[in-house]
Amino acid sequence: MNSQPYLSLVVFAVVAAVFPLVPLILARLWFYFFAPLKPGESKNATYECGLVSEGDARIQFKAHYYLYAIVFLIFDVETIFLLPFATAFLNLSVGAVLAMLVFVLLLVEGLVWAWSKGYLEWD
Amino acid sequence: MSVLSDSLIEDLKKQGVLVTSIEALYNWGRSNSVWPLQFGLACCAIEMIAASMARFDLSRFGSEVFRPSPRQADLMIVSGTVTKKMAPQVVRLFNQMPDPKYVIAMGACAISGGPFKQGYNVLKGVDRFIPVDIYIPGCPPRPEALLHGLMELQKKIRAQKLTGENRAKYFDAAQPGEYPIPSFGEHDLEPSKNAALWSPAQVARKD
Amino acid sequence: METPENILARLQAAFPSAKIELLPNGCPSQPPSLLLDPAFACEIATFLKNDAALRLDHATNVTGVDWPKEGYIEAVYHLFSMEKKHGPLIIRLRTANRDTAVVLPSLTPVWRSADLQEREIFDLFGIKFEGHPDLRRILMWDGFKDHPMRKDYVAPDDFEYEPTAHDDVLERAQQHFSKNA
Ligand code: SF4
Repeated sequence: MNSQPYLSLVVFAVVAAVFPLVPLILARLWFYFFAPLKPGESKNATYECGLVSEGDARIQFKAHYYLYAIVFLIFDVETIFLLPFATAFLNLSVGAVLAMLVFVLLLVEGLVWAWSKGYLEWD
Repeated sequence: MSVLSDSLIEDLKKQGVLVTSIEALYNWGRSNSVWPLQFGLACCAIEMIAASMARFDLSRFGSEVFRPSPRQADLMIVSGTVTKKMAPQVVRLFNQMPDPKYVIAMGACAISGGPFKQGYNVLKGVDRFIPVDIYIPGCPPRPEALLHGLMELQKKIRAQKLTGENRAKYFDAAQPGEYPIPSFGEHDLEPSKNAALWSPAQVARKD
Repeated sequence: METPENILARLQAAFPSAKIELLPNGCPSQPPSLLLDPAFACEIATFLKNDAALRLDHATNVTGVDWPKEGYIEAVYHLFSMEKKHGPLIIRLRTANRDTAVVLPSLTPVWRSADLQEREIFDLFGIKFEGHPDLRRILMWDGFKDHPMRKDYVAPDDFEYEPTAHDDVLERAQQHFSKNA
């Protein structure tokens, strides 16, 4: 049966090529016979919020911002763990509660560190 | 008696069987997937939102997919008061929509300025800057009126021609694809209207 | 709350060199208002805010009034006290005229809620508030030159199509009749 072990791959490749090509060719034909292209300045503009974009995209960000984002992320993840912890609180074993407290303590330690370094101040 | 209606025979003579059937297929497809651009300008937008919800169910007409980007939208529902400060943005968004595109002016404000017509900052009708296909009167129009407007638009789309003299403007290379965007002047928008597009309606009046 | 007459007397005692007037309101149910001297407006405002008996800590409404015949523009502040739960006390400031000297002191440093409303007055009436933290147009665009709420403002001439015109609008629409026909 398997005299052509790679035949399925070839078929796959052909389908993969034809699948996107057909609509593209159809669109081209459509343009050729019926609908002319009408590009324009605002149609080709990068942004599409209705306003003209102003200034340069390469502006300086405060490095602070990333620290903020990371600290936020830590506490974001923490809530995901805290919620099931809170709902199952009464049924947990002592070990599990201790493990959870250690986890929270680690995060609090991170917060204290960031705080003492002054990263929470935005001036 | 012929099975074909007179208008269809006329059409077949002009465009041929192939184009006529492509046209029917194309218009059928387009008219049943009119995706509106998702934006609202004032109180009328609330009725537009109501029309898209379960009770009135815009999705029966294939129009439930409100697009957040003009690049994916076919229909601009101008739902509400177009202030002069907003007008350039509305025109720019319309320009950024790919052809073919349609405009529904929903409510008295979008048609003529409505209750704010003599206000210093209200555009007296969005048709001064972009071509409007369907006008829906009302302040605000009920969702049923919007559905009716949409059905009228679908009829209009199903009747559009691909080739020939009367072809829809999107298929005509000579018709503009973009409309000039007004700029903020010292006293008014500049220009205050697109003269090529809009001229005051002729009113018969006794002097 | 104390009567405005009472407040006036206390203000005159506290600011002897300031010119303060009591303006009666035509409507009997409305309290009279205090017309302040712009030069002392900030100090008087701070006084009204901090005075133990008044404590007017909240400006709910700031608006403008154009008086073309009298030749000045007014800014009107409605003051309430959240703490004492009383009010309103109405104070007014007047510009010297309507075109060259339209500067008034901003009371935003005293009442934060006056911020956007003073901007609106600046936009629509053209009063320049000195000391305002961010005095820009708020409703109209930045390049706009007119002040639409002034009584002598003439709206741009887009009256070509007025199906149900009357009064002033009809007059302006009529100028277009011959052009349109
Ligand atoms: S037509 Fe009426 S409901 Fe619609 S936006 Fe204007 S004022 Fe609001």
